[in-house]
Amino acid sequence: MKRAFHLSTGRRGITRDVERELAFHIEMRTRELVALGRSQADARREAVAVFGDMTAVRAECLTEQGHRTRKRARTEFMHTLWQDVRFTARTLRRAPAFTIASLLTLALGIGATTAIFSVIDGVLLRPLPYAYGDRLVHVAQPANAGGIPDVGFSPTEVMDYESQTRSFDALAEYHTMAFTLLGRDDPLRVQTGVVSAGFFDVLGVKALLGRTFRPGEDQPAAAPVIVLSYEFWQRALGGDPNIVGKTFTMNDRVHTVIGVLPFLPQDPDHNDIYMPVSSCPFRISAHVVGSRTARMVTLLGRLKPGATLTQATADVSNVAARLHREFPDAYRANDRLGIAAAMYRDEITRGARPTLLVLLATAAFVLLIACANVANLTLARELRREREMALRAVLGAGRRRIARQLVTESTLLAVVGGALGLAVAWGLLGVLKSFTALFTPRAAEIGMDGRVLAFAFAVSALTGICLGLVPAITSRRDLASGLKEDGNASTLGGARMRLRGALISAQVSIAFMLLVGAGLMLRSFVNLERVDPGFDPANVLTARLDLDWVKYRTGPLIRNFEEALVDRMSARPGVTAVAVSNASPMNEGQPNNAPFRIDGRPLDAGQTAPTLDVRIGSTDYFRLLGIALVSGRTFAATDRDTLNEPVVVNQTAARRYWGAANPIGARLTFDDGKHWVTVVGIVGDVSQYGPAQPEMPALYAPFTLSTTSDMRILVRTRGEPAFVSRDLHAIVHDLDPAQPVTEVQTLAKLRGDAVATPRITMLLIGAFAVVALVITAAGLAGVIAFTVSRRTREIGIRIALGAQPGGVRGMVLRQGLRLVAVGLVIGAVAALFLTRLLSRFLFHVDATDPITFLGVAALFCGIAALACLVPARRATRVDPMIALRDA
Amino acid sequence: MAGSDLYTGTLDVLILKALTWGPMHGYGVGKWIRDTTREALQVQEGALYPALHRLERRGLLEDEWGVSETGREAKYYKLTSAGRKQLQAEVLRWTRYTLAVSAALNASPA
Repeated sequence: MKRAFHLSTGRRGITRDVERELAFHIEMRTRELVALGRSQADARREAVAVFGDMTAVRAECLTEQGHRTRKRARTEFMHTLWQDVRFTARTLRRAPAFTIASLLTLALGIGATTAIFSVIDGVLLRPLPYAYGDRLVHVAQPANAGGIPDVGFSPTEVMDYESQTRSFDALAEYHTMAFTLLGRDDPLRVQTGVVSAGFFDVLGVKALLGRTFRPGEDQPAAAPVIVLSYEFWQRALGGDPNIVGKTFTMNDRVHTVIGVLPFLPQDPDHNDIYMPVSSCPFRISAHVVGSRTARMVTLLGRLKPGATLTQATADVSNVAARLHREFPDAYRANDRLGIAAAMYRDEITRGARPTLLVLLATAAFVLLIACANVANLTLARELRREREMALRAVLGAGRRRIARQLVTESTLLAVVGGALGLAVAWGLLGVLKSFTALFTPRAAEIGMDGRVLAFAFAVSALTGICLGLVPAITSRRDLASGLKEDGNASTLGGARMRLRGALISAQVSIAFMLLVGAGLMLRSFVNLERVDPGFDPANVLTARLDLDWVKYRTGPLIRNFEEALVDRMSARPGVTAVAVSNASPMNEGQPNNAPFRIDGRPLDAGQTAPTLDVRIGSTDYFRLLGIALVSGRTFAATDRDTLNEPVVVNQTAARRYWGAANPIGARLTFDDGKHWVTVVGIVGDVSQYGPAQPEMPALYAPFTLSTTSDMRILVRTRGEPAFVSRDLHAIVHDLDPAQPVTEVQTLAKLRGDAVATPRITMLLIGAFAVVALVITAAGLAGVIAFTVSRRTREIGIRIALGAQPGGVRGMVLRQGLRLVAVGLVIGAVAALFLTRLLSRFLFHVDATDPITFLGVAALFCGIAALACLVPARRATRVDPMIALRDA
Repeated sequence: MAGSDLYTGTLDVLILKALTWGPMHGYGVGKWIRDTTREALQVQEGALYPALHRLERRGLLEDEWGVSETGREAKYYKLTSAGRKQLQAEVLRWTRYTLAVSAALNASPA
């Protein structure tokens, strides 16, 4: 850039130049007029007059000059920056080991943090992708007696809340059912969201094709219409662009497709299609519509603009209190029904939040360790470059210029490392997405978008600047000693070595915390795996048979189908037992806690009724699953149609409700004495809802008592159970061609899935911890190696004076282990506090489990010793002659 | 405050043209414009300076302090290569414009 010799910078310089330029003009003009014959005074007056508004001209010139100066400063800044960057790139290329080690470390740290951030951003930070996402409230009716978070609302209650609440724009109900959709080649079993006509308006969702429901389309007289989910439209109908207006037959009625939804996270369930409540035969049946206690739907509300969750909570509580007073029969004290409201957005991410925050903290720790490591590498390099820096300072580079060079260098490293980190994050994202899908439907929204890129860039830049400031802060003020022959002995070197030691100790303490966390998760997982499930999961196939209850209306119809299926399936080769139940163990699902009364033990007023989780099992259920018979008997084929239906209770129920007494022979009622059942046996407890869930008091009723049409079939085989799934499909198809078979799984797989969440959480934290350990060990080895190389002469003298190799090795090892020990002590203290945050993830392990702490500490010392051993061995091989001559 | 008789941008072109004779200070540029246009274009002399500074910021001019013919220190402006190109483009535009307007004004009824 060419500069004028008279470069004016700064506000005062500019003002002076403008003044001088304008004064020169007036002077010349006056001179011109004088030459024409005017007097000096007249000439000057005229010169000023023809000039015009001097003040305005001056101001305008100053503004222009100001712009110009700023532009020039910018150009110059960019110019030096570019110079720095090119210079830095050259120096980094000359130090490939340092550069590669730093880049890899930073890529891991930034990549891990970015990946977790993208998950957190998609799931927790972004507003829901519905237009009114931030105003949606989920209203729940918990049954506190059974510990059930939401029993749902009856349609009657929905109407009451709609008419009596004040803080909502609108409320909408929702439930989901499976129906059979006819109209394509094969009958399709579709999960159907059944909603009020205003449901999509409450959410603020517009159709992608066609429209959503109009007011009145949920009234009994309305023509049957359905809306398709985007996924179903794509998957089952090939994304047919002319789908709107086509018809399907469901529940013996012809339904017209009126629209397709955009791609959205669906919650609470993933539905294939949506229909208005008027189309659901169950929802409009007389015993549901007329009953206040037919609680079956989820209630969502959209807050009025400006209304708060607190107001909404107070509002629904008022209505609930009124209803409880008005209809005491529908709100029995024994059930202890409550009311609750939560932001929908928090509700659907509740499960994911704690895990994601723990993972974010873990990733941030890894990044911290990575930073400490790169800072350490940088310091080592600075120590070697002390002379170069001093020379540059002497040659006129200002202290700030050198600091800037250092910051440029580390920022360049961090930004390139961050770019590599994006690749790491990209690789991790697939795993994280499927992992997050275990907790929340919002997992589909996770992706690497502009926000994530901006985050990665910000983290990289910040990292770079902090890293660059570390050596800049400790950089020398005293130039002369830097230039002296022996920079090794400088006091600055000592300060920097202490800083490097501190960084290693910090890394060790953080890595220790991570490893302890991972260790606790591992122990917890092993405990989960060791839990005796109470049944034998090997060689069992399960499948769901959700019978079309429009066709199978009565108990006998259902039983005829199931019995035929069991008989024919049992006859297949390789099958040793077949049973049906309402739920197989290890299935997702909620306990079906029913309040009951024991004959001869009347309930006192106000006393909470005991509850039993009611499970259905056919005759062979216990034998098939290998559930232990503790006493009495299980069901027999001859039990059918007796007056006092036989039932079996589990050990937990026997202990809790009978204590030392024998429950066999006891009579129970679930409907206040209208029907009675008799306990005939006690069976062992099973992990019905997953190994971490404590077994609840349960009752097994024979299949003959059941009227539920949503059944599971269990098939025990001699060999691999997956082989009989073809037989199962064929037999079901033969019995009823319109009946789908879904959720075909082996029980072993279900048992694996039940611990999938803790397993993957453990693996992720474990992977992060291992990365942290490797980085720390590498950092430690680097520091020790560097010290050894700096102390070559000292070690040479020691050896020359007769020090034994063992002694030298011990000296080096002691130095390394001292740093590790300091880190371990700090890390252990911090871990004692931090691991408590993990408590909710731990199963039968204390957050301060001493075995884990000691084990990890031992592992750490071992790895640290290994890391020190390589440089220590090099130290023992120092040749005193060479060392003394060269150093 | 630019002279109302000047078409927009005309002053800029005149400044660029003036400087084709070599580096000149602001007063010289103003005098050249006054002399060559025989003072037909009424312009307040002060309006020249903001225009000079604006052209400078746009990179069309460069400045340099030097000693004037009267022995005083003065700010000299000179054309940059960008300024030269700009002038060529403006001259072309101006010629086309005047030709078109003259053709229209000279046209006789058909």
